[in-house]
Amino acid sequence: MEGKTKRKKITIINILQIATLAALLLYMQIAVKTGAVSKVFLAAPTDIVREGIEIIADGTLIPHFLISVEEILVGYGLATAVGIGLGILWTIFPKTEEYANVFCAAVMAIPKVAILPLLILWFGIGFLSKVVLIFLFAVFTILYNTVTGAKQCKESYLKVAKVFEATNIETVFTVILPSALPSVFNGLRLAAATAFTGVVFSEMQSAKAGIGFLLSEAQSLLNSSRVFFLIILITVMSVVFVKAISLVEYAICHKWRRV
Amino acid sequence: MSLGLSIRRQNKGCETMPDIKIKNINKTYTDASGAPVEAIKDINIDIKDGEFVSIVGPSGCGKSTLLEIVAGLLEQTSGEVIVGDDTVKGTSRDIGVVFQDSALFPWKTVKKNILYGLELSKVPREEQEEKLKNYLELMNLTGFEDKYPSQLSGGMRQRAGIARTLIMDPKVTLMDEPFSAVDHLTRCTLQEELVRIHEKEKKTVLFITHDISEAVFLSDRVILLSPRPSVVQNEYKINVKHPRSRSDDYLVQITARIVADINRGAAAPENDYII
Ligand SMILES: Nc1ncnc2c1ncn2[C@@H]1O[C@H](COP(=O)(O)OP(=O)(O)O)[C@@H](O)[C@H]1O
Ligand SMILES: [Mg+2]
Repeated sequence: MEGKTKRKKITIINILQIATLAALLLYMQIAVKTGAVSKVFLAAPTDIVREGIEIIADGTLIPHFLISVEEILVGYGLATAVGIGLGILWTIFPKTEEYANVFCAAVMAIPKVAILPLLILWFGIGFLSKVVLIFLFAVFTILYNTVTGAKQCKESYLKVAKVFEATNIETVFTVILPSALPSVFNGLRLAAATAFTGVVFSEMQSAKAGIGFLLSEAQSLLNSSRVFFLIILITVMSVVFVKAISLVEYAICHKWRRV
Repeated sequence: MSLGLSIRRQNKGCETMPDIKIKNINKTYTDASGAPVEAIKDINIDIKDGEFVSIVGPSGCGKSTLLEIVAGLLEQTSGEVIVGDDTVKGTSRDIGVVFQDSALFPWKTVKKNILYGLELSKVPREEQEEKLKNYLELMNLTGFEDKYPSQLSGGMRQRAGIARTLIMDPKVTLMDEPFSAVDHLTRCTLQEELVRIHEKEKKTVLFITHDISEAVFLSDRVILLSPRPSVVQNEYKINVKHPRSRSDDYLVQITARIVADINRGAAAPENDYII
C-alpha cells in the first residue's frame, strides 16, 4: 500500500493526463453550449453538476439510491455467505464438491441476464428479483475463488497440520482457510464489480425503483445530463465498494504480509 | 490414534531397545507417466534411545521420503517402522517433525505458531504460557513472540519452527534439512544450539542433511545413503564428546572419508540416473 512517506512526484505524464481530461471536459462544455453537438447526445459538465445537485436537492435521487444499495448489500451479502460457506463445505467434504460441482458449473454457465425474465416471473419486478440476480451474479465467483484458494494451500502447511494431529475440520479452519484468504478476497472484489452490473441492468430492464430505473427513465426523457450524472454516480459507487473490500482485506491481513 | 494416552513403558533396564527401528523399508513412487520410481530400497536402521543420527546422501536419493515414512506422513510400499513400542501408522504425538523451510504459518504470530500443537490438544492456557516462556528462552526468541514470521530472519524462523516441535515434548524428533535455507554463520550458531539442547534433553533425533560436515559435527552416528534407488551405503560412528571443535582432526578426517565414499558411490558403473 502507498505509504505517506513516499510522496509521489508529479511527472510530465501526470500533467499530460490532467490536460487531456481538461480538454475533453472543455470540448463537451463548448460543443454543447454552442450547439455544435445536440445536448441529446452529450452533456456539458456544468449541466451534469447542476443536474446532480438538483436531483439530490429535490429528493428524487436518495430513495432510488438507497433501494439500489439495499439490493446490493442483501444480494452480495447472501452471495458472500453462501459462496464462502459452500466453499468451506466443499473443502471439508470433497464428496459434496464432487456431487454439486456439475450443477454449480451448469448454473454458472448460463448468462445471468438471460434468466432475468424468469426471475421476474418468479419474484416480481421488485426487490426480490434484483437480490436474486445479484446473488447469482456474485456467488459463483466467490465460491470458486474460495475453493481454488483452498486447493492452493502449500503442501508443507498441510504436513504441519498432520504432524500436529489436527482433525480435518481443524485443518480447514486453522490452515486451509487462512492461506486461502487472498484468493477469497480476489473473488469478493471481482464479485463486487459484477454485482453492480447485475443491479443496474436488472433495474433498467424492469423496475419501479433504483438507480438503474432512474437511468432508463432519464434516457427515455432524453435528459442526457442526468444520464451522465447517474453513470458517474454508479461508477463511483462501484469503485468505493471494491475499495471497501480491499480495506477489509488490509485490516485482516496487513499484519502478516510482507510490506 | 490420537485417542487416549499412549502408554510409555518404563524401559529402564533395556538399553538395547531401539527407539526408532526402520525395518526393510521400500518406497516406490509412480511418476507422471505411470512408470514406477524406486526411491528407497530395503532400508534398515536402528536408532537408540537418546541417539542423534544423521542421514546424508546426494540430493534426490530419498532422504525426505524416508523421513516422511518415519513421521507417518507417507506410506511405505513395504517394510515397517517402529517408534518406541508402536508401529508407525500415521502421525503421532510421539513423533515431532521440523521442516526444511520452517513451514511456519505466516498468518500466525511466533507465539501462536509455537503454541499450535498445544492449542490443538487443548492444553490449559496457564500450562501453554508456562511452556511457551521456557521454549522462547531455550530458542533465544524471548521478545519476538508477537512478531509475524515475515518480520523475522531465516534463522529466527527456523528457531521458532524447532520450538513449535519441541514444545510438544515428542519422544523422537525428525528434522529434514532444517538449516539448509539459512546463511553459513547462522547455521553454525543453530547447530551449536541444537547440540546444547540435545545434550540437555537427550532425546532421540533423526536429522537429515546434505551437508556432511554438519552431520559429522552434530551426530553420534552418520548414515550415508547411496544414489537412487537408495540403500544404506555406509555408516560412521562419531565417538567425540560434545562440545566439539569444528577443526577437530578426527571430525575433519571422517568428513573427508564420507565425501570420498559419496564420490565413489556416485561413480559406480551401474549408474541409475539415466533410466
Ligand atoms: N510424489 C512423488 N512422485 C514421484 N516421485 C517422487 C515423489 N516424491 C519424490 N519423488 C522422487 O523420489 C526421489 C527421492 O525424493 P526425496 O525423498 O525428496 O529426496 P531427497 O530428500 O533425498 O532430496 C526423487 O528422485 C524424487 O524425484
Ligand atoms: Mg529432501
